[in-house]
Amino acid sequence: MDVTFNLLINAIVAGILLGGFYAAVSIGISVAFGMLDIVNIAHPAFIILGSYIAYIVNVNLGVDPIVTVVVLSPAFFALGVAMYRWYYVAFERRGRESLSGLAFFFGILFIGEVALLLVFGVDYRTVNTPYIGPSFAITSNISISMRLFVPFLVSVAMVLAIQLYMTKTFAGRCILAVSQNQTALQLMGANPQHIKAIAFGLSIVTAAVAGAFLIVIQPVEPSIGREYIGRVFAVCVLGGMGSIPGTLLAAIILGVAESFTATFYGPSWAPAVSFGILLLTLAVRPAGLLGR
Amino acid sequence: MSSLSVRNVTAGYGNVQVLHDVSINVGDGETVVLLGTNGNGKSTLIKSIVGLVKPEHGAIRVEIDGMTHDLGGKQPAEIVDLGIAIVPEGRQLFPKLTVDENLMMGAYRPKARSEIGKNLALCFETFPVLAQRRRQLAGSMSGGEQQMLALARALMASPKLLLIDEPSVGLAPIMVNRVIETIRQFKEKHRLTILMAEQNFTQAVKIADRGYVIVHGQIAHAGTAAELNDSDLIRRFYLGM
Repeated sequence: MDVTFNLLINAIVAGILLGGFYAAVSIGISVAFGMLDIVNIAHPAFIILGSYIAYIVNVNLGVDPIVTVVVLSPAFFALGVAMYRWYYVAFERRGRESLSGLAFFFGILFIGEVALLLVFGVDYRTVNTPYIGPSFAITSNISISMRLFVPFLVSVAMVLAIQLYMTKTFAGRCILAVSQNQTALQLMGANPQHIKAIAFGLSIVTAAVAGAFLIVIQPVEPSIGREYIGRVFAVCVLGGMGSIPGTLLAAIILGVAESFTATFYGPSWAPAVSFGILLLTLAVRPAGLLGR
Repeated sequence: MSSLSVRNVTAGYGNVQVLHDVSINVGDGETVVLLGTNGNGKSTLIKSIVGLVKPEHGAIRVEIDGMTHDLGGKQPAEIVDLGIAIVPEGRQLFPKLTVDENLMMGAYRPKARSEIGKNLALCFETFPVLAQRRRQLAGSMSGGEQQMLALARALMASPKLLLIDEPSVGLAPIMVNRVIETIRQFKEKHRLTILMAEQNFTQAVKIADRGYVIVHGQIAHAGTAAELNDSDLIRRFYLGM
């Protein structure tokens, strides 16, 4: 077989796997921005928090990072609920969420980063699990790296679970409805603040899970989350704000586009892909691929 | 069994007092209309009942299945949970949810969840147009269809007491006819207790058992539908007809 063809197939496979990870990173932002109108720009800080907690447990107890975060997900959920309560009492209830709320989350982002820097320093941290390192071959020319494949599978499962929750449960449908008409939601018998707290808690759980994926995929230092902000926005906008299937689809498109660019034009071009996609989407289809 | 009693309610928004010492009754199985032109307090009274407006004075009580509940100080969600459903003014649908999803939102009340199948069948039988549009986004439907959906959504809550706020607003006359006709069918089939605010006098008296005319936040007249319909005074002075 032709070498270029092999490169192409490998780029696509790696891109799809990378896309699964991007979906996990973006889904919480898509929920917070798209469904709750909460501009949680501190999301990357919660991702890194997830990475470091997975790291501590892995180094001390040898537990798999993804397992750690999934087991601790009730704690991350509670953290998200507490964050939302604070945000609601301090800003949303007074109608100050737009600017003061933005500053609040900016502050959380910086404090989170600095706190991690003070505790762990600027060194890159890594974890040990059996699936970091090996890869398996599908054909003689195409191979899949396990450290990307495991996060991909868990991420897709998580996205599907969230989609099912949002469309099949009463609380989930309320999350879809809460930004559309809060008065009507009350008139259906639901409490909008309660619904938003649940959704925000979920979004923080996805951040922590994405953090575990991140430290499996690459070494982590406290401010590494910033590298993903551009990609996250590109994915959310391309997928359609608040669309969960859209987020997964867009994440895979971005993953493939980046991997393709990195393979054929050099890795330094890859970050430009996300902003290119972002601009193109805003110009051609601002509602995103699957936005309602 | 369900009934509503509003006693000496005074309510408003901030410093603006809208309702002055208003008292009304809705008996079990009755359809009562609140008549009056814009700005006289019909919607404020409905909003006070569901807890969106907190009255300064007075009492609002409902009796549902033999239990009496004082609605004062309750949150809208708690009031709806008792079995009081509302078709709000301006419909207040979820525009980016589908027809099906909007209907399921109506069934949020725990007691309505076990009756979803039955209520859905009922809604589609009464509003065949909704059955054809189940996957359409609510916001993309016509005003009349949206009003049907708002009615159907309220019925999904298995209500004991149904509040309907200005169902004719923004609809073409022929649609107003159809909406009123559907409400009539419903009340006849299911013996619902209904309180409806409406400024379209001729349409409203068609389905009402009794009515109250509300003027400047006070009950100016009360009577059976026939009495209101025959009263020249009401037609001329209060309704400007």
